[in-house]
Amino acid sequence: MNYVLHILVMILIYGILTLSLNLLVGYGGLLSLSQAAFYGIGAYASTLLIIKGVNFFPSLIFSIFLTSILSFFIAYPSLRLKGDYFVLATLGFQIIVFSILYNWVSLTKGPYGIPGIPGPKIFNFELSTPFHYFIFSGIFFLIVFLFFKKLYNSPYGRVLKSIREDEIAASSLGKDIPLIKIWAFAISCGVCAISGSLYATYVTYIDPTSFTLDESIFIASIVILGGSGNLKGPLIGVAFMIILPEFLRFLGLPDTIAPNVRQIIYGLLLIILMKYKPSGIIGEYNLQ
Amino acid sequence: MISQFLVNGIITGSIYALIGLGFALIYNTTHIFHIAYAGVYVVGSYAYYFFYRVLHLPVFLSLLLGIIFSVIVNLIIEFLIYRPAYKRKSSPMISLISSIGCYICIVNLIALLFGNEVKIIYSGIQPSYNFGSIIVTQIQVIQLVSFIFLLISYLLFMKKTSFGKLIMAFSNNPELLSSVGVNIFNLRIIIFIISGVFAGIASCLVATDIGMDPWGGMSLLLVGMVSLIVGGVGKFNTAALGGFLIGIIQSLVVWKTSAKWQDCITFLILIIFLLFKPEGILGTKRRFEEI
Amino acid sequence: MNVIRLKNVSRSFGGIKAVNNVNMDFFSGRITGLIGPNGAGKTTIFNLISGFIKVDEGEIYFKDENITNQPPWKISRKGIGRIFQDIRVFKKLTVLENVLLGKSNIGENPYNLFLQVKKVEKEERGNIEKARYWIKFVGLEGMENTPGENLSYGQQKLLSIARLLMGEYEVFLLDEPTAGIHPEIVKKFIELMRKIVENGKTIIFIEHNMNIVSEIADWLFFLKEGEIYDMGKPGDILGNEEIRRIYMGLSDVKT
Repeated sequence: MNYVLHILVMILIYGILTLSLNLLVGYGGLLSLSQAAFYGIGAYASTLLIIKGVNFFPSLIFSIFLTSILSFFIAYPSLRLKGDYFVLATLGFQIIVFSILYNWVSLTKGPYGIPGIPGPKIFNFELSTPFHYFIFSGIFFLIVFLFFKKLYNSPYGRVLKSIREDEIAASSLGKDIPLIKIWAFAISCGVCAISGSLYATYVTYIDPTSFTLDESIFIASIVILGGSGNLKGPLIGVAFMIILPEFLRFLGLPDTIAPNVRQIIYGLLLIILMKYKPSGIIGEYNLQ
Repeated sequence: MISQFLVNGIITGSIYALIGLGFALIYNTTHIFHIAYAGVYVVGSYAYYFFYRVLHLPVFLSLLLGIIFSVIVNLIIEFLIYRPAYKRKSSPMISLISSIGCYICIVNLIALLFGNEVKIIYSGIQPSYNFGSIIVTQIQVIQLVSFIFLLISYLLFMKKTSFGKLIMAFSNNPELLSSVGVNIFNLRIIIFIISGVFAGIASCLVATDIGMDPWGGMSLLLVGMVSLIVGGVGKFNTAALGGFLIGIIQSLVVWKTSAKWQDCITFLILIIFLLFKPEGILGTKRRFEEI
Repeated sequence: MNVIRLKNVSRSFGGIKAVNNVNMDFFSGRITGLIGPNGAGKTTIFNLISGFIKVDEGEIYFKDENITNQPPWKISRKGIGRIFQDIRVFKKLTVLENVLLGKSNIGENPYNLFLQVKKVEKEERGNIEKARYWIKFVGLEGMENTPGENLSYGQQKLLSIARLLMGEYEVFLLDEPTAGIHPEIVKKFIELMRKIVENGKTIIFIEHNMNIVSEIADWLFFLKEGEIYDMGKPGDILGNEEIRRIYMGLSDVKT
């Protein structure tokens, strides 16, 4: 039972990450390979405060603000660079952030990681069991989901879609495209911090190897496989990508080769989907 | 002791340059971000390892087979992924993602067959030469010499032969070429063969020097891409300049601070160039207009 | 009143002068036409005014403000709207969404969206009403939820016009607005154009249909190879033998 709850918690945490990238990819048409970097910054930011005794919630808010502001580092390239070059810039940023997390040992303890992260305390009640975390993450997931639902059905969501469709027409209608993109990045990266903070307090130990380029590619794959541009696609994607490895384990695949087989399946799926259904399993948006 | 670092930088730079040139060849002509090139790279050294260490074939035959395998995998990707995408007029983003998918498959397949850990082809101490206070190993010398030889042959091929000129024309205007009766698809085959050769040779050289693992291709390819951007997009030889520059800069970083900041500095340079000088040092500048 | 002025404006593309030292004035309350053979520079002038292309030389003024080389969204917000020759509706968005995008809403800023919920909702309701009005006006009533890509060419053009009207601009740059549209609707559209300029607005249009040009234009610029070959009242311009010869197909037009 605990095992199932653990899977569910990971689905919720990755679900929040996927929803955050969905904003950029499916609505803004921007493929970012930096999500893991912001996931990591969010995790470290709240962790460093929490282990100093600060309560979870103020730490979370701080980490959200920090990642939103740092999102400018990929928002700015998105204004100047097209397509492939933008993806390359986000890739570069991801590697730089990982390098800093890994090598700035005095701040982050580098590869040694930060152990013993206490759970969130709500009015003297400290979360400890997977069930607690399941409810806790579930609440955050719901909030994030409803937030994006409102966002996508709002004038802002409409304007974002118009930019995805035709930037030239949108600017001829007076839309301040740079500002709109900057907002998208600020929101997307801020939401990553929520996942980061939840992850840190759930696993109680973080180190930089959870926030690598491979992780960013994994998150991007979820969005691409499930489909972006609506709210259903990312959720299907997350459920699929998290359950698949467990399913393989269930089939009796030895743990030594399971990770490789899992990756091969992801790779094949990406190739097949791009060939036959580029909008993902139930997405709305074809990457351009 | 800076001279030792500089020499090290030039030697690593030669590998970056080789990968950069191979990547540039494909990008300049087909505008594909061939991420799977990292997988092609890894195939070369593992094939070499397989034929030499497992089947015990002679060294040079194994090397040749390693390079051939890289070429074959490169061509398979072209035929299975890029060519159909081109015919369907898919967007570059779709090719990019398919390429990532290919990379994931290739590298994990190799890991399944050969294991995730680092493998060494030659154990024991390498013979080395002294030039004053600078020490270089035999394999490093071979690396540099092979690279110079390859670069010169490549440049001669591009500038003097009709294929080479066609390829340069291709990068400017593929439609025009096909409308005058040139078979673009055959040209693409040649392009993928050449870049496959580069990847295969680089891979075998590095594997002989320090060994290999399934994941080494990606980090190398990334630096190759940086080399292309820094050296200059649009031209075919500028990635070599970029490769050497990055190699030297990395060595200087090691000399001044420590090896752990190499990646950070390399990609910082990438971002600075992307934002402020996207055409690179020697590349062709294009004016982008809205409409 | 002089609303738009081009002063010594030039622009080249790779060595070819698309617009060559052009001086033009556009007045409010007037419908001014840009006519001339293909490649004469008409759309380039629109692109220069609306900020999609930068000038090589010269200045562009909106009333007394220098708007040269400002970004398109700023120029649009100042009150200059345009439609494109290739229409550019948002294909995956519905008709209603397309028209709603014609006007800005404070809800387009996420800050306002969450902190001024009531105000945003009120503005949105008002905009939806206006949008429905314009959708009805151009004859697309009932198609509010149809995605742009499912409309015919003519319908897409009407949609782009509705979207433009939604913006309540002062200056309208219309690039071939009547091509492909049913004559009944064209009539309605011409009436609307007249009404708009009666209210003091400015219309500049590019047209190849000389019947329409002679019917509605108050003033014409005839462009050839990036320069103003001639300007004047439609009667004078269209009656000019030289111009008729340069711009083939004029001989059937009544002036």
